[in-house]
Amino acid sequence: MIAAPPTMRAALAAALAEAVDADPALITLGADGQALFQGVMARHPRRYVDVGIAEANLVGVAAGLARSGMRPVAAAMAPFLVRRAYEQLRLDVCVPALPVVFLGVGGGLGYGHLGPTHHATDDITLMSALPHMSVHCPADAADAVSVLRTLLPADGPAYVRLSARPDPELPAAASDGDPRTPRLLRDGDDVLLLATGRCVAEALAAADALAGDGVDAAVASVTTLHPFPRDAVRALALGRALVVTAAESLGPGGLGDRTALTLGRDGPPLVRLETDHRYPPVASHEELLHFYGVDSRGIRSAVLGRFTRNTRKA
Amino acid sequence: MLHPDELARRARRRVVELAARKAVHLGAALSMTDLLAVLYTRGLRYRPDRPDWPDRDLLILSKGHGAYGLYAVLAELGVITADLATLPGHPSDAVPGIEAATGALGHGLSLGCGMALGARLAGRDQRVVVVTGDGELDEGSNWEAAQFAAHHRLGNLVAVVDRNRLQQEGDTETISALEPLADKWRAFGWRVAEADGHDTAAVTDALAGLRAGDGPAVLLAHTVKGRGVPFAEGDPAWHMGQLDAAQRQTALDALDAPAAPAPAAAGGALS
Repeated sequence: MIAAPPTMRAALAAALAEAVDADPALITLGADGQALFQGVMARHPRRYVDVGIAEANLVGVAAGLARSGMRPVAAAMAPFLVRRAYEQLRLDVCVPALPVVFLGVGGGLGYGHLGPTHHATDDITLMSALPHMSVHCPADAADAVSVLRTLLPADGPAYVRLSARPDPELPAAASDGDPRTPRLLRDGDDVLLLATGRCVAEALAAADALAGDGVDAAVASVTTLHPFPRDAVRALALGRALVVTAAESLGPGGLGDRTALTLGRDGPPLVRLETDHRYPPVASHEELLHFYGVDSRGIRSAVLGRFTRNTRKA
Repeated sequence: MLHPDELARRARRRVVELAARKAVHLGAALSMTDLLAVLYTRGLRYRPDRPDWPDRDLLILSKGHGAYGLYAVLAELGVITADLATLPGHPSDAVPGIEAATGALGHGLSLGCGMALGARLAGRDQRVVVVTGDGELDEGSNWEAAQFAAHHRLGNLVAVVDRNRLQQEGDTETISALEPLADKWRAFGWRVAEADGHDTAAVTDALAGLRAGDGPAVLLAHTVKGRGVPFAEGDPAWHMGQLDAAQRQTALDALDAPAAPAPAAAGGALS
């Protein structure tokens, strides 16, 4: 029997407890969601503060703690953290550039059947519009840990989109080194698949399928979306016959947008796969990825629709 | 240290002079002047010669539109030396003496909760005072913070409500009634005191009475919007405005006249 892959929350619970061990200024806050903080609560009960179901207050209290010299890590379900507390995020934390790390659980479509109240395909767009905010979208539990370790001790505000459910486990390369630089997970001569978060696993599956179609696809994961790693993305993309981006996010400020701006008109042809504002069906996370065309089948179709042996570079 | 009555009179003169040069939130600045004068002379542990003193008590002006009233007090204390007309219309981090940028209503109490909790966790004996408007209490985030402060027994947190009974468009009780306001705070687990917010001795005593105790405390300070400028007092039209030359002179003459007894707090039953 194969063990289930760890969830981001379980992996981060251990990493957060270690971080609190090491840094007396670190304090954690949650909004009636404690899975991330089990380790901290067990070892340092005074260093976890539960504000209850009150996201605006969560962010305001975190800002006050940061102003008093502490380094808060604050978590809530992504849709409510981002949308309900947006003014507090902007004015209380980001404008003064306070060192607060925000963990948004269930960004994108991760809550599946729970519907649009719980979907947050707008989190990357909205968080990227805040001053001084860095935005990260890890692809699996190990990547989430690599992001947290890179961000702590924080020197400014940061948002990390976390999955609601276990992610497919990725090759170790997906969490190696600095998450702020894209990671090449699979090389290939024909096309480049750039993906972020949950879509990285979809891009790898698409590359496997494309190999059967005779297309040699490279796959790179982009975990840090803002500030966008322009130079590294440009280096990966230049010379390709086609670049396809895949993200379970709205377009503005997301992976496709940033890639298009980076490559410009003279770059390789670009196909952007991202979500839109269609009302979602009652469906699982995986089915919703398919509905919005950002799953492995959507990625494969996008490549096959644009790339043939005739477009293969000489 | 100046007597708070004299500090308030001088600060009001600064506000009036400023309002003759540009439109400001005049009524909101003047209703809380006496409260700030008491806080900076008697209520807070504060050293105007060292506004960044690490052991100072902290004041957050949650009703940020009253910024020029706060700037005027800080200018009298020598903390602010810039021309007030050049300073932003809401408290900004770049201004000396400002502990937190505010202006969108309903943020200050949460910030104060975080600062008070941070002081407690660090073992610092530090009091955090948050000055709110009364109309501002329409914002639900205040009540999230009120519940949090009581739950965590933040005895080093004090809210001072500038209860002038007017918000932008009129009477608070007509627009979205706040009363019974003291009962609401008590129900949230706060200690409550009330005082005439223009009687500096009464405000001093009320703040001292709230110092000792378990959990957060609130002073409901009954005030008159536009206090000290007769034609602006109690008139929501002076929520924001600019004075012409004659109005400026009338206002300055009124401020320089021998002090009149504080008007009875409008409609607010003192308990």
